[in-house]
Amino acid sequence: MSLLSVLSLCVQYQTAQGTVRAVDDVSFELEPGETLGLVGESGCGKSTLGKAIMRLVPSSDGVVVLDGQDITRMPNAGLKSVRKNMQMIFQDPYGSLNPRHDVGTIVGQPLSVAGWSRKDIRDRVADLLRQVGLSADAARRYPHEFSGGQRQRVGIARALALRPKVIICDEPVSALDVSVRAQVINLLQDLQQQTGVSYLFISHDLSVVEHVSDRLIVMYLGRIVESGRGAEVWEQPAHPYTLALLTAAPVADPKLARSRTKNLLQGELPSPLNPPPGCSFHVRCPMARERCRQERPVLRNVSGDRMVACHYDLLEQSAELPRAVGAAN
Amino acid sequence: MAVGDPERTAILDIDRLQVSLFTRRGVLPAVDGLSLTVAARETVAIVGESGCGKSLTALAVMRLLPEPPAKIVSGAVRFMGRDLASLSDRAMRRVRGKDISMIFQDPMTSLNPVTTVGDQLIEAIQWHNDVSRREAHARAVELLRQVRIPDAERRLDDYPHQMSGGMSQRVMIAMAIACGPKLLIADEPTTALDVTIQAQILELIKELQASSGMGLIIITHDLGVVAETADRVVVMYAGRKVEEAPVEALFERPLHRYTSGLLGATPSAKRRRGSRLAEIGGSVPALSELPAGCAFQNRCADAFDRCRTERPKLMPLMPGRTAACFAAEEELSRHVAAIGT
Amino acid sequence: MPSLATDFVRRFARNRAALVGLVLVIALIGVALAAPWMFPKNPLRIVGRPEIWPFVNARFPLGTDSLGRDIAAMIAHGARTTLLIGLCASLTATLIGITVGASAAFFGGWVDEMLMRFTELFQTIPNLIFVLTIVSILGQKIEYVTIAVGIVTWTPIARLTRAEFMSLRDREFVQACRAMGMGNMRIMLGEILPNALPPVIVLSSLVIAGAVLFESAVSFLGLGDPNISSWGRLIGDGRTLIRTSWYICAVPGLAIMLTVLALNLIGDGLNDALNPKLRDR
Repeated sequence: MSLLSVLSLCVQYQTAQGTVRAVDDVSFELEPGETLGLVGESGCGKSTLGKAIMRLVPSSDGVVVLDGQDITRMPNAGLKSVRKNMQMIFQDPYGSLNPRHDVGTIVGQPLSVAGWSRKDIRDRVADLLRQVGLSADAARRYPHEFSGGQRQRVGIARALALRPKVIICDEPVSALDVSVRAQVINLLQDLQQQTGVSYLFISHDLSVVEHVSDRLIVMYLGRIVESGRGAEVWEQPAHPYTLALLTAAPVADPKLARSRTKNLLQGELPSPLNPPPGCSFHVRCPMARERCRQERPVLRNVSGDRMVACHYDLLEQSAELPRAVGAAN
Repeated sequence: MAVGDPERTAILDIDRLQVSLFTRRGVLPAVDGLSLTVAARETVAIVGESGCGKSLTALAVMRLLPEPPAKIVSGAVRFMGRDLASLSDRAMRRVRGKDISMIFQDPMTSLNPVTTVGDQLIEAIQWHNDVSRREAHARAVELLRQVRIPDAERRLDDYPHQMSGGMSQRVMIAMAIACGPKLLIADEPTTALDVTIQAQILELIKELQASSGMGLIIITHDLGVVAETADRVVVMYAGRKVEEAPVEALFERPLHRYTSGLLGATPSAKRRRGSRLAEIGGSVPALSELPAGCAFQNRCADAFDRCRTERPKLMPLMPGRTAACFAAEEELSRHVAAIGT
Repeated sequence: MPSLATDFVRRFARNRAALVGLVLVIALIGVALAAPWMFPKNPLRIVGRPEIWPFVNARFPLGTDSLGRDIAAMIAHGARTTLLIGLCASLTATLIGITVGASAAFFGGWVDEMLMRFTELFQTIPNLIFVLTIVSILGQKIEYVTIAVGIVTWTPIARLTRAEFMSLRDREFVQACRAMGMGNMRIMLGEILPNALPPVIVLSSLVIAGAVLFESAVSFLGLGDPNISSWGRLIGDGRTLIRTSWYICAVPGLAIMLTVLALNLIGDGLNDALNPKLRDR
């Protein structure tokens, strides 16, 4: 049985201009010890999905099952015991730590809420700080005395406090400098090796997601458009949007950058208030045909564990690809 | 030290620029002796992480430094022969937006939220050109078409908050090229945008450059953007230029240990998935706590005695490129010795 | 929190004007505390000839008023009144304001609507008239004046607290606390409130200044406590002699001005010291 199962989850909210379906019928599974990457651009719903799973925002439909328990509508009292199995790391190292508490208090908060004794908390906090590569005396200092990368480590230590089985990482390195990103990415991978924790790694940065993920999910306007093993999706994308993301992402290799054919997606990301009918991607898709405008594609299995939501996916079409859609390599 | 094709005349020649920050903690060398040239049609990328001084360099060229606390302390910024650093405010205002333009990172905050896009464009056009409002209006429509904004005529009446990030950035670019500048400085132009929009904007900027022949400086922390757009790359660290090279040479064989560290820390297709990224331990030193000698010494695996006592100078270690790194110098001279030259 | 406290003191001390304000307020407190020793008898007693100018008679350094009372004694005892009202009224206002603002922001929905309408109701009533009405209903005693001033000055604090809470509620560190199962009360009091307080503290210092002015206005109009010496009352009493013995109005007027100025300067200093935007990274 999977550690975390999400089934047909929907999150919608009302705005002055109408209903926004931020997450639309999303399903996936997360196994113990694995990293599932979640990638997409603004408005795709990846952050909202993470928060909905954490019960930080309410979901309107669907089910979230953690470790065999259906936590979707669990009342707060019952949630408390569940919370220790699932924690979150946030994006903004400057906003995710309370500036008025010292690091020791911050890292110990989950333990304090769970009812641990002061002494036990202090010991565990010292262990945690060491585990994330900070010195024990960091506990007495305040967030503003640390750099962005160090603050992110504090956030990671806090997330690890109760030994969760799942950690949702919401853009954990996006706000950090390049040289510091590598430190944090390596740390997350080391911790996974040591503790066997699973990650749901949310990011808009394809190269980072691809580097850390075992499996990958691509989202567009609230829906999953493709999912599969990371390396496979990377090398042979099945959905035209995945291909577009790959070609658009700048690649740190000048020769490759200049030699590859790029067919960039035209147009803007549509507003989530007004998603196009049929396939939500058809407006920008170079391969769109009549059926795409009318019928919404269902997420289906194409090969192995690859799933695609497209009527004319690229794996089928590879033989007859129109010249307009360039190759990623 | 200027590097590049000597045949091409430089339109911008920054010569040992020194920008200091006057703060309570003392005088900080935010840009320390930077020299850099840009020729027409050439794209120079300035790459570095936060606090390295790349944005301040751009602001210094545009004479838009926040004074206090920043101030150009010494050095020259020669644009088409004239030293911008010594121009009066009035004279500089005639250069800004007309001969040299700049676009900034976050289009949402760089456009005035209370006037329409059209009014802002027209204002920019009329400031530098003696044209009627009708002519400026026509030119504004043409500019929006040039930056590929659909429905240009109607868009002029939009307010910035009604536009998406990508559109606003195009408007900023339109404002920047309105008067046909000879040099465009783009400070992290795509950092705040989505990947697919980022690619569109970069392509647009390159096309505009090709058609107008202007020089382009791109400031970024993203090595991918550098690889996609630059002809030459300048790497900055803690206010100092530490390496300069043509783009392919830099990626193929980085000389300075910081450059190789940055490349190693960037995940890419070449690296085996799941393998550890090469880390650069520690963090960038604060400008008030720079060590004597090389600024990078505390994070460098190859640092030795000389690095701690003497500050490395930029040396032409290989043809067409310079680096300020003793370890690289040593390595190359051993290499040369081994070949037996 | 040693590090945050020393940071604060250092930053405050950098603002020279704020230090001047602090000195003035300390002087005010000193005079108020020393009044019973310096002028042990009831200041409202008649002790000499009326309308003696200041610096003329050594026994009455600040002169005497229209009835022959010692102005220096009245100023010194008036300082106690000023301090008392200033502190108590603003404390009342701050407590009411924080409670209303925090509750409105945290619970949202109809609670927020109701509390905000309630706040607006108090804001639309002309302040001075409201104070005078309360005093005339309850009676002319210093306690009632204090309550009246407190009731009238809490609204800006409520609005500010609500705004701060609303912006803090969505910050990532608050979400992190919710994610670990922390209860609402603990989040409000332990996480949000300490961060919302600094701007509220700054506003409170200005509210004290406002309270001082309100009390002066009430006493000036003769509606204050008749058994207590107050600066406003002095000015009120000296109204008729303003063309000849104008010092009777000027001296207490100067005292009020300096006090309000000092409080404003301290408010500025507090703002600089507590404002996180100015925190150098």
